[in-house]
Amino acid sequence: MELGKIFLLALLTNNIVIMRFLALCSYIGMTSDVGQSIGMGFAVTFVTVLATAATWPIYHYILVPLNLTFLQILIFILVIASLVQLVEFYLKKNVPGLYSAMGIYLPLITTNCAILAVTFENISFKYNFIQSIAYSVGVSLGYLLAMVLLAGIRERMKTSPVPKFLQGTPILFMATALIGIAFMGFSGLIK
Amino acid sequence: MKKDMTKLGMTLMLFASLACASLAVVYAFTKESIDKQSEIQLQASLKELFPQATAFEPIQDLVSPDPNIKFEAAYEVKSDMAPLGLAMKATGPSYGGAATLLVGIDLHRSIAGVRVMALNDTPGLGMNASSPTYYVDKTKKVTFLGQFNEKFLTDPFEVKKDVVAITAATISSRSLTKIIKLAGDAAIAYMDQKAISAPAENGASADAGTDANAQPQAGGK
Amino acid sequence: MSMKKLYSIFKQGIIFDNPLLMLMIGLCSAIAVTTNVSNGIGMGLAMTFVLLFSEIIISLFRKLIPSMIRIPIFIIVIAAFTTMVDLVMKAYFPDLSKSMGVFIPLIVVNCIIMGRVEAFASKQNLASVIADALGMGLGYTWVLIAIAAVRELLGNGTLAGIQIMPASYQPILFFILPPGGFFVFSLFISLNIWFKKRMEASARNRELVAKKEAA
Repeated sequence: MELGKIFLLALLTNNIVIMRFLALCSYIGMTSDVGQSIGMGFAVTFVTVLATAATWPIYHYILVPLNLTFLQILIFILVIASLVQLVEFYLKKNVPGLYSAMGIYLPLITTNCAILAVTFENISFKYNFIQSIAYSVGVSLGYLLAMVLLAGIRERMKTSPVPKFLQGTPILFMATALIGIAFMGFSGLIK
Repeated sequence: MKKDMTKLGMTLMLFASLACASLAVVYAFTKESIDKQSEIQLQASLKELFPQATAFEPIQDLVSPDPNIKFEAAYEVKSDMAPLGLAMKATGPSYGGAATLLVGIDLHRSIAGVRVMALNDTPGLGMNASSPTYYVDKTKKVTFLGQFNEKFLTDPFEVKKDVVAITAATISSRSLTKIIKLAGDAAIAYMDQKAISAPAENGASADAGTDANAQPQAGGK
Repeated sequence: MSMKKLYSIFKQGIIFDNPLLMLMIGLCSAIAVTTNVSNGIGMGLAMTFVLLFSEIIISLFRKLIPSMIRIPIFIIVIAAFTTMVDLVMKAYFPDLSKSMGVFIPLIVVNCIIMGRVEAFASKQNLASVIADALGMGLGYTWVLIAIAAVRELLGNGTLAGIQIMPASYQPILFFILPPGGFFVFSLFISLNIWFKKRMEASARNRELVAKKEAA
């Protein structure tokens, strides 16, 4: 499949949060502020692309030739965990402001379903390396998009009269459902 | 300090080795079953498409004209040496990654049937292609893949005009239709080249792939 | 360890500290697999298996796990059990395995398992963690089945593939689609919050009555 198509499908039509329900924990937890969501979105993009760049060759050049494909889950998650650790060290040293702003949510990137899902799908969709990179960029930017959308809506909602039975988390999921209906319009985008 | 680090490292290695070892054991136990699963599925589907077949002989030289769609396997279907048609296992891109279909072409150059080998599309939408209870024609109970049965490869194959799409899953419908058409055309080209065709009206069965101009071309198109 | 105490640990996960509806963790795989009941049951059982055995191993080895490297060790243990579930499903339940796709491997990043292992299993004895894992697993599974039942019944007319609605029922496709998933989930959370508030209100009432009688 052409790179542009892969990218657009991942970004919009098959948006990882809105249409595929992944990465919800951080979606709910880190969207109270638009700035925060942008920061998180970029951090996830960075880790996802690096994770793809690391796990794809490991699978194809180490696990497959040595018949160790059953170690895929173990190896992939450890690679992601290590990458997040590295990002943490780097931020702590060089960008302490962002490090303290992200606080507990930085190590939580490890358990972000979207990242592991992307690394797995690169393999199961039989993408080559370039396609995998395109896919991972598309998915993570789609994550960023969803985060920013919800953060924007939440800021607006602070001054809206939310019905009592939907206050708190339920209204957030309702909003997501509505965003989802809009996103379904993208299904005709790719021929 | 260094001693602590080594101790930590050793503990980590120990746990990791235990984990890998136990996984290797489970893998050894399940490997055979896992490998068998795809074979079982393939054989079962081949049998479904051609119930009278006794042999499926693999063919090697079928190449797909489209770089995105790969022919993973092709079989000459025979019943006691008499040809029944061809079966193609083709993989192409679909909405949620690669989709693998088994397309059976009979001697009349029409589709004997299509079966799903692998499909990763959205449940409730694209995945309905493999659902036995999802009907594109509710009154006649025709499934999405069922509508291809007995369809001639020369017929138009345009989704939403000649082919009924799965509701809200046009991309999946188009991708699968494309795979079917490509596999079908390649199978027919092969059959034409090897002169495999339906038996003559008088009951004598046609010879498979020897004389291109001697056999009467009964049936077919 | 008294049976009563074990039972109260077990009960926690089912309603009051229900991982999906109350603690709001482990959401990722939850909504996606609820398009039909079979997937919901499969996911619930798979997750409970991984949770149970991860908690057991980590509780057994809790004195031997150095605090500094506990997270990587937790990950190794959870990943190992997730892989086992994945292999066994591929070998003996291939249709279900294909239907759930990438969500089986995703059990390894399910926040519920990591959360319980870190907060509970690393500190409690074997019997307690078994009760906890079973309770949380059951809490997770029943919500999955409930949501899946609503979505499959309204969106497809079936339950676990068996036609329930009369043939004339036009399925409301919305419920099978992703927005429908969020919609149904949102209502479930809302119901649970309301239920919890009522339980707390009646508990407070009982306290007031008790105080009055004591006075």
